[in-house]
Amino acid sequence: MSQKNRLASGGRIDRSKPLRFKYNGREYQGYQGDTLASALLANGVDVIGRSFKYSRPRGIVAAGAEEPNAVLQLGATEATQVPNVRATQQELFGGLVSSATNGWPNADMDLMSYVGKVGGRMMPPGFYYKTFMYPQSMWETYEKFIRKAAGLGRSPLENDPDTYDKINHHCDVMIVGAGPAGLAAALVAARSGARVILADEQNEFGGSLLHSREKINGRPAANWVAETVAELEKHPEVLLLPRSTVNGYHDHNFLTIHQRCTDHVADQAPKGQVRQRMHRVRANWVVLATGAHERPLVYGNNDVPGCMVASAVSTYINRYGVVPGNELVLMTTNDYAYQTALDWADAGRKVVAIVDTRQNPKGARIEEARKRGLNVITGSAVIEVQGSKRVSGVSVAPIDARGDKVTGSVQRLSCDTVASSGGWSPVIHLSCHTGSRPEWRDDIIGFVPGKTVQRQLTAGGINGTYSLRKVLEEGARTGAQAAESAGFADAAKGIALPLSEEVQEGPAMALFHIPHTKPTARAPKQFVDFQNDVTASGIELATREGFESIEHVKRYTAMGFGTDQGKLGNINGMAIAAKSLNQTIPQTGTTIFRPNYTPITFGAIAGRDCGELFDVKRYSAMHRWHVEHGALFEDVGNWKRPWYFPKAGESMQDALDRECKATRESVGILDASTLGKIDIQGKDAREFLARVYTNAWAKLGVGKCRYGLMCGEDGMVFDDGVTSCLAENHFLMTTTTGGAARVLEWLELYHQTEWPEMEVYFNTVTDQWATMTISGPNSRKLLAELTDIDLDGDSFKFMDWRQGKVAGVPARVFRISFTGELSYEINVQANYGLYVWEKLFEHGAKFNLTPYGTETMHVLRAEKGFIIAGQDTDGSVTPIDLGMSWCVSNNKPFSYIGKRGMAREDCNRPNRKQLVGLKAKDPKKVIPEGSQAVDDPKQPLPMKMLGHVTSSYYSANLGHSIAMGMIRDGHNRMGETVYYPQADGSVIEAEICSPIFLDPKGERQNV
Amino acid sequence: MSEMIAPEKVAANKPEAVQEVARMNQLAGPAQRAESPLHHADLGTIAQKGPKNGGVTLQEHKLLGHLVIRGSQDNQAFLAGAREALGFDLPTAPLSSVQQGDRSVRWISPDEWLLIVPGEEAFDVEEQLRAAMGGHFAIVNVSGGQTVLELSGPEARSVLKKSTPYDVHDRNFPVGKVVTSVFAKTQAVIRRTGEQSWELVIRRSFADYAWLWLQDASAEYGLVVKA
Repeated sequence: MSQKNRLASGGRIDRSKPLRFKYNGREYQGYQGDTLASALLANGVDVIGRSFKYSRPRGIVAAGAEEPNAVLQLGATEATQVPNVRATQQELFGGLVSSATNGWPNADMDLMSYVGKVGGRMMPPGFYYKTFMYPQSMWETYEKFIRKAAGLGRSPLENDPDTYDKINHHCDVMIVGAGPAGLAAALVAARSGARVILADEQNEFGGSLLHSREKINGRPAANWVAETVAELEKHPEVLLLPRSTVNGYHDHNFLTIHQRCTDHVADQAPKGQVRQRMHRVRANWVVLATGAHERPLVYGNNDVPGCMVASAVSTYINRYGVVPGNELVLMTTNDYAYQTALDWADAGRKVVAIVDTRQNPKGARIEEARKRGLNVITGSAVIEVQGSKRVSGVSVAPIDARGDKVTGSVQRLSCDTVASSGGWSPVIHLSCHTGSRPEWRDDIIGFVPGKTVQRQLTAGGINGTYSLRKVLEEGARTGAQAAESAGFADAAKGIALPLSEEVQEGPAMALFHIPHTKPTARAPKQFVDFQNDVTASGIELATREGFESIEHVKRYTAMGFGTDQGKLGNINGMAIAAKSLNQTIPQTGTTIFRPNYTPITFGAIAGRDCGELFDVKRYSAMHRWHVEHGALFEDVGNWKRPWYFPKAGESMQDALDRECKATRESVGILDASTLGKIDIQGKDAREFLARVYTNAWAKLGVGKCRYGLMCGEDGMVFDDGVTSCLAENHFLMTTTTGGAARVLEWLELYHQTEWPEMEVYFNTVTDQWATMTISGPNSRKLLAELTDIDLDGDSFKFMDWRQGKVAGVPARVFRISFTGELSYEINVQANYGLYVWEKLFEHGAKFNLTPYGTETMHVLRAEKGFIIAGQDTDGSVTPIDLGMSWCVSNNKPFSYIGKRGMAREDCNRPNRKQLVGLKAKDPKKVIPEGSQAVDDPKQPLPMKMLGHVTSSYYSANLGHSIAMGMIRDGHNRMGETVYYPQADGSVIEAEICSPIFLDPKGERQNV
Repeated sequence: MSEMIAPEKVAANKPEAVQEVARMNQLAGPAQRAESPLHHADLGTIAQKGPKNGGVTLQEHKLLGHLVIRGSQDNQAFLAGAREALGFDLPTAPLSSVQQGDRSVRWISPDEWLLIVPGEEAFDVEEQLRAAMGGHFAIVNVSGGQTVLELSGPEARSVLKKSTPYDVHDRNFPVGKVVTSVFAKTQAVIRRTGEQSWELVIRRSFADYAWLWLQDASAEYGLVVKA
């Protein structure tokens, strides 16, 4: 298809660089510099989708971020599918593949249009709201219908091959928008030496100047843009971000910017390049120069393809060299839009009429139009459009001065394009993100940013300043003010303001909704929000049904809910609601906008925090050995801990049985490096321990270790571990792997806020020490081969520690045990961790030294009834509930954390859940962890639950399963039977017993 | 409140007896193989076989002596002792550092410093500090728990900007400044050591993540590894 709407010359496209692209399976040609929208219009593609609710054909309406209809699906391959792309924002590249998203089977021949009217009836205004009132079971039905009908694109089924990332910036002045105001502001701020960031969503800087015919300093505005950008590029402290949408403006002048780095180059980013980047900017001062969006007028059948916003028509003509039709009718409430008719005429196409809603408009542009012989019809409006897939004509009628009613006979004009302008709406979205309430201004007929608590200034269109001369002035002044406020004195000095002529304009008319000869409800549909098919009559219905708050009207009608956030329609909708409620617009108020300004891809949000980098993986010094020896890993906090070490052909249970037996019968080894370790120094260290642990620490001698429980203020256990007295004023505390950071913060919190007078310092040494625990009857023999420490059981006793060398490496060896076996925990500086580990294996072969992971560790400790804080405790368990009153000392001179909590009545009442051992009657049955105990499995539902299983394993050493769990009043129910009903209907019977299943006297660890 | 929080002042001329702490020279002999946290990444081979030109250069300064020094700035016996043992003052200006030959000290917080010395000197320096310092203080050898990465080159700053929200611009981050901050999803002590060079102190267990992150963040600029 030829580019029938392309002009032979003009515009900012490069006609020497034709680009082929696909839309809905057909090949088209555009040029370098086109957007997908301008290229489609150049090719005369009128219908780019079907509407959400009524399935009406829709065409391109606007030329930028405000476009509600041209939301397309992009992607040449499955993996590169991108939904939700605005054709007006997507630059054309060779090979681009796009399709309509809500035309099925295609936008032109939409079978849905036959059921469209049914859809309309099924989803009256209030649908969104009412669905929540219907039985919930119906929602799924509605949802399917909505999703299918809406079909705003689909996500890819394959992984995105591209890279997205994030970068942080700081600056003195952040300028949003590189139109005339933003450029002028940037120039002044940059010259002051301030660090400036200038971001604009378009591929080129210049904003409205890119399609303007106005002059700056007597020359085309584009020249000034080029010179300004060239100068900005030379300033070393200026960062220019084209193709970058400032999507969020957050507290403390933190802004998020979505940059499309290579979306304009190809379907997939060139190798080594980032596709999209999120810039996270912390700015001292922010200048919003976001300009304004033109409002279309609301009239009958205003959604027929060919109905466009006036300035968009000018943009397509002047910037892209595309005239999107042949015969134009322009409807306007203001002078500025006359430019569109002049541009249309200049392009050599026919201007059928300029329909001005004002009775007697006067202004320079009107003069020019009349001088050029264009047909200006005043005091009238286009009340209705004819046509379905393209405008074929309009009905024009005289209206009264207030724009409330049609006052005369209707005439028909033939045309294929209707451009309308109801004035301009400042782009206040970012200002709203910060919580600022917009303020209505009657003089500009629009909302401007309200009071702000941010260090924020505004310039240009966002303030309702539209004359180029004033916009440039305001931009320069604001740039200077921002730079000066950021500490760059004299930024305002010697500004040479770019000059442009002032065009004389008459007052605009505050008109939003064009009256029809019929009442709104009976008139042809007058669309307010194209994306959500919200009509003027829908809004009137909402107010009739009693929805008076604009927020309720929004939710009732779904106005502004679309991915365009109602950029075109919101103000019109508010005006219609206000009129219907007999209120002013400021009385009605406005909904406000939330981030993001335009949709962002998930890729950009994820950045590099995906795949291998999704989360931190922490490794011990011996990790490589574990990998080489076939370990499977378990996540504990961020750590990768060996879970178990299966040999070829072994099941998990086989491996666990082997590891458990080897440890109990000879010697096993565990990498315990991940346990939290905190070095505590200072003369008050011992007293501090006594205050944070529940047990006593006064008499722990140098060279000794002690187990301790830590409670919160509520008396509930939150961590445990062994702390060793290294010297009189020096202790080494160990914590659970997952609790390390929390415990250190806990100690610091109490030290800094409650007991700052105590002389003690805490430092993490978790990463400093590689810790390997050898456990089992042969552990002494093994260690003896490698150490100079006297291991004699009478001198180096259980719960002692010694310093010496292991494999020639200085080490601290702690005789503590989490298995109940003779155990030595060897600590060496982590740099030697792997070396010593390997030496242990060199000597361990003859003892069948067996590596084991967390699972075997769990089994072995459970055989001994040792708890794991966080598994056997859940924040509701006191030491007494655990049967560990031996670990609570109430004779300490100073209180300890949790003492008062434990004294509460509830902690001392009978019938609390208590930790007990559980033995399944069937020794092979392992009761699933989490199972709930009941006394009578035949009682009616809901059953009375007694407590849950916290730990449960098969013990190869004992030849039967073992479990620990909470049972109400469990300590007094030893020997009794409880039942664990399972999801499959079966019931596991178990006997309550002591949790110490093996060696209750501790003879094995005390040898 | 400030009276309550301020640690007790200790007169400079009456240092208390040296505290009773466990001392330990953690260093083994040359026969015992020591591995830095990034040992398995085999940076030596990458340095040999990898690209020689790029926007970012990465080098691990491994197996150095890292000592955490804790003490109050109100404790003159502590500050004077540090000066005596080190030959220079602990930097008390926030976010500052001192480099003297192969010894460097980073301000970490008002009562915490990180001293880095050649690996084999760690114990001697610790002993000298303990002998010279008085009052309440703590010294902890963390040589095995962390490592030093040097990031340099024209795009080193860009890599930092991807990794930390802290402002690393010249005007905010002059040579010598040191900041402990978020680094990707871990943390780092970041010190600017030259016009285009930066030092990162990374914890051992996070080193692999940091190495993966740095490779990834440097990819578009070209990463050169130096042994």
